[in-house]
Amino acid sequence: MKEVLFVVEFGIEFVPRDLYWKTTFYAIQAEKIGFDYLWITDHFNNRNVYVSLAIASAYTERIKFGPGVTNPYLVHPGVTAQAVATLNEIAPGRVVCGLGAGDKTTLQMLNLEQRKPLRTVRESVKIIREITSGKTLEMQGKIFNVAGAKLNFKITSPIPIFIGAQGPKMLELAAEIGDGVLINASHSKDVENAMTFIGRGIKKAGKELNDLNISAYTSFSVASSYDKALKAVVPVVAYIVAGSPEIVLERHQIRVEVANKIREAIVHRRWKEAFSPVNAEMVEAFSICGTPETCVDKIHRLLKVGVNQIVAGSPIGPNMRKSINMIAAEVFPHFKEIIGEERI
Amino acid sequence: MALEKIARKIPASLWNMASEKLIDLVLNSPNASRMPSALAKTILYYWQRDQLATEVGLYRVLEASMILEPEKTISLMEELGLPAIVVMLKETL
Repeated sequence: MKEVLFVVEFGIEFVPRDLYWKTTFYAIQAEKIGFDYLWITDHFNNRNVYVSLAIASAYTERIKFGPGVTNPYLVHPGVTAQAVATLNEIAPGRVVCGLGAGDKTTLQMLNLEQRKPLRTVRESVKIIREITSGKTLEMQGKIFNVAGAKLNFKITSPIPIFIGAQGPKMLELAAEIGDGVLINASHSKDVENAMTFIGRGIKKAGKELNDLNISAYTSFSVASSYDKALKAVVPVVAYIVAGSPEIVLERHQIRVEVANKIREAIVHRRWKEAFSPVNAEMVEAFSICGTPETCVDKIHRLLKVGVNQIVAGSPIGPNMRKSINMIAAEVFPHFKEIIGEERI
Repeated sequence: MALEKIARKIPASLWNMASEKLIDLVLNSPNASRMPSALAKTILYYWQRDQLATEVGLYRVLEASMILEPEKTISLMEELGLPAIVVMLKETL
């Protein structure tokens, strides 16, 4: 454990599919047990991320929070800047902004094309950063043109921007221009691979590794037995397999044809057909799933390859409240020593 | 009898256990959308302040569980060995 020399933080992700008061209840619980970050996903077909964050922020006092992640196709970065700046007024110094290229499937539902994602994310980060810094922005970009954009209210503390990334180029960009990288991965092999590209981005920007918050944004399911945790995580893993690039599938010896079949079944909402091919290898590759002991082991492996924030993403477990309590009682104590030492 | 008065009759030694079990009922109820927003916010207020296992917090959780899951709430009070509470809750239906 002593070989890990950086601060370890824990984040939790909620999908606002649930009623607002349930998400807020769990957000309060997450803060109470010691999570450092609260991330709420941004999909137009769920409850609005900023409304969800605003109410969660009103009932919490310490936890940092932000969209995890929004995208510039659905929301103009000028509006994202406005939203996070407003949140920062409610909870000064606690707001972070997670940004990515979006989820292709959801964007397609609104007929939005995921065009030039690297350029779009790069320009968006510039817009959000400049506007939330209180500056007047003039920018002639390839995607966005901004002519004298400025907030009509003051913002008192900077808002760190985390970039969600999975592919090599986005990882490199995220490390180059982001304050943090949210790596879409649950397995140390994928994170280890991502670190190569993150290293390139850091070098390009002339940064130090410690300047960057490197987070593994995992699919997490903890329960008293593997089977219970598995049942909750299977649908999430099916979606991840369906959306993973071939290179990632090959890294985990998952056949591309199987992934294609799962994708096809998801598109046509044939759930049994989509979820039944999910096997133990897929679950191992794309989630942290099992008893607290298993989860602790996988978290240790992620920390060893250079991550300093673990985000426990959907589904968390078969029973949200119990699983969050289980994380408090049986997962966090294994990392307390590191957290204690590093925070002092 | 009003729920507030009924809640007051739950022995303090059972507040923790009753609160825990009622919260589970409320959070896992398929009828969760019936929760009045004002009541939800009151519960969140008490939850943030660690007061759901106090007399006033328990009353609000009981109120929510009687809206979402009246029969299960009554069964739970039976399990907790509170027959008088069961009778009073039944009278509110």
